[in-house]
Amino acid sequence: MSASRRERSSTLQALSDDLATAVEHAAASVVAVNARPRIASSGVHWRPGVVVTASHTVRRDDDVTVTLRDGRTRTAALAGRDGATDIAVLKIDGSGTPAASFAEHGSPKVGHVVLQVGRTGAGGASATFGVIGAILEPWRTWRGAEIAQLMQLDMTIHDGFSGSPLVDTQGNVVGLNTSALARGVALALPLSVVNRVVDALLAKGRIARGYLGVGLQAVDLPAALTSKLDPPRSTGLIVLSVDASGPGGRGGLQLGDVIVAVDRQPVTDVRDVLPVLAPERVGSTVDVSLMRGGAPQTVSVSIAERPAR
Amino acid sequence: MSFAAELATVAERLRRATVQVRGRSPGTGSGIVWRPRLIVTNAHVATGRSVVIESADGAVLKARLAASDRQRDLAVLEADTEGLLPAELAASDALKVGALVFAVGNPLGLSGAVTTGIVYSLARTRRGAPLILADVRLLPGNSGGPLGDAAGRVVGVNTMILRGLAAAIPSDVVERFLRDLRLAA
Repeated sequence: MSASRRERSSTLQALSDDLATAVEHAAASVVAVNARPRIASSGVHWRPGVVVTASHTVRRDDDVTVTLRDGRTRTAALAGRDGATDIAVLKIDGSGTPAASFAEHGSPKVGHVVLQVGRTGAGGASATFGVIGAILEPWRTWRGAEIAQLMQLDMTIHDGFSGSPLVDTQGNVVGLNTSALARGVALALPLSVVNRVVDALLAKGRIARGYLGVGLQAVDLPAALTSKLDPPRSTGLIVLSVDASGPGGRGGLQLGDVIVAVDRQPVTDVRDVLPVLAPERVGSTVDVSLMRGGAPQTVSVSIAERPAR
Repeated sequence: MSFAAELATVAERLRRATVQVRGRSPGTGSGIVWRPRLIVTNAHVATGRSVVIESADGAVLKARLAASDRQRDLAVLEADTEGLLPAELAASDALKVGALVFAVGNPLGLSGAVTTGIVYSLARTRRGAPLILADVRLLPGNSGGPLGDAAGRVVGVNTMILRGLAAAIPSDVVERFLRDLRLAA
C-alpha cells in the first residue's frame, strides 16, 4: 500500500465516507414535493404510501405531485395537515420506492452530529451538516401546539429543505426539519411528535385543538385574596377579551374576571390553561373558578374545537 | 494520528498550496499552486497583466497572466514557484454529496483561513457546466482558493457564494481548461 493510500484510510476519510453513505441511504426515501410555485419542498416517504412534509410548503390542496429519487413523478393526495406543528401528510402509490428507516435507540442529544437531506427537483439529493444545538422542552409554537423535545439546529434550513428529514450519521431519520415554526430558527420535530400527528391526520384528516375563546393575562392578586386560596398564591389570570359566541362567553366568563383555577387546578400562568386545550379534551366540560368583584364564583365551560384559520 | 492532528495535517497540506493573489482590482483573492510554476485562480481575481502573489510563508512573487477565461471564471498564472509545493489533486467526478470538504483562502486579509463542511449538491450552472455546491462558509477573499477533500487533495476552485453556499469549479473542469490551453502536464 502506498503512503497516500494509507493516508486516505484515515479517521477523517472514514468520517467523510460515512457521511456520504448516510446521505445516500437517507436520500432513497426523500422526495421532492411539488405543491407551491417556484421551488419545490422536500418530503419523507415515512411509511409505505405515506409521505410527510412541512404543511406550510403545501400551498394547494389539489394537483400535488412528488418526484422520486429516480426522477419519476407520482400524484399525491393530501390526507391532512396540522398548521400548529407544520406537518402535512400525503398519500402516494409507494410501490418500488423504499420507506424511511428510523433511529431506533436513544433519543437525540445536544451536540449530536446530524445531516439534513433534501430533494428539490429531479436532480440528485442535497445535504447539509451540523449539530443539534439545543433541545427545547416543552416548547409552544406560535400556532398553539405544545411540542416536547423540539430540536434547535446549528444549521441553516436552505430553500426547499422544509419537510426534509434530519438524519443521524447512519442515515436514519431522527426528525423532520421546518423553518416555519420560529422565524429564522432551524428546528426539527422529534419522531414521537411526527408519528402522533401523522396517525391522527391519517385517521381524521385534522387535529382538533381545544378553544376557550378568551384572552388571558397573568395579574397580581390583592393580598386579602392570596390567603383565601388553597394553596395560597399571589397571581391569577385576568380575562382581557371574550369571544361572545365562544365557549368562555357562552359559559358566562366576563371581561375583568380573574381566573384562579381551571379544572380544579390552580392557574398562575397562561400556560397552565393548555392542558384543558389538548385534542382529547375537546367536547369536555371544565369548572373555571374565578373572582368577580372580590367574590369567588365557579362557572362551567364546555371546551370547543378551535375554529380553522 | 489523532483526529485533531489529522485535521491539522489536511489544513496544512491545503494551506501550503494556497497563495494570495493581488490583481488590479482592490482586495485580494486566492490561488492554488496547481503544479510547479503554474497557479490556478478565478478570472475575476487575476485582473491585469501582471499580478502579485504571496505564498503561505510570506514570499512575494510577480506572476504573469498566462490565460484567462471570464466565462468559465478561470485564470492561469505563471510564476517562479520553485519553493512552493504543488497541491495534491483529486478527480472531482468521484465526489459524493455528504463528503467532508475544506476551504482555504485569504478572506479579509487573513492568510490561510480554513472552513469546513460537506458537499451540498453536485449541480450545474445555467450553461450546463458542472458545479460543486458545498455547505461551507466562504468570504469574498476565498475566491480562487482550494476546496479540498478529507485527504487534503484539491477537488475544486472556490468561485462564489450562492445563497450562503460555496460554489466551486470542479477540478475536472480545471484540468479540461488546462488541456484546452495545452498547459496540461
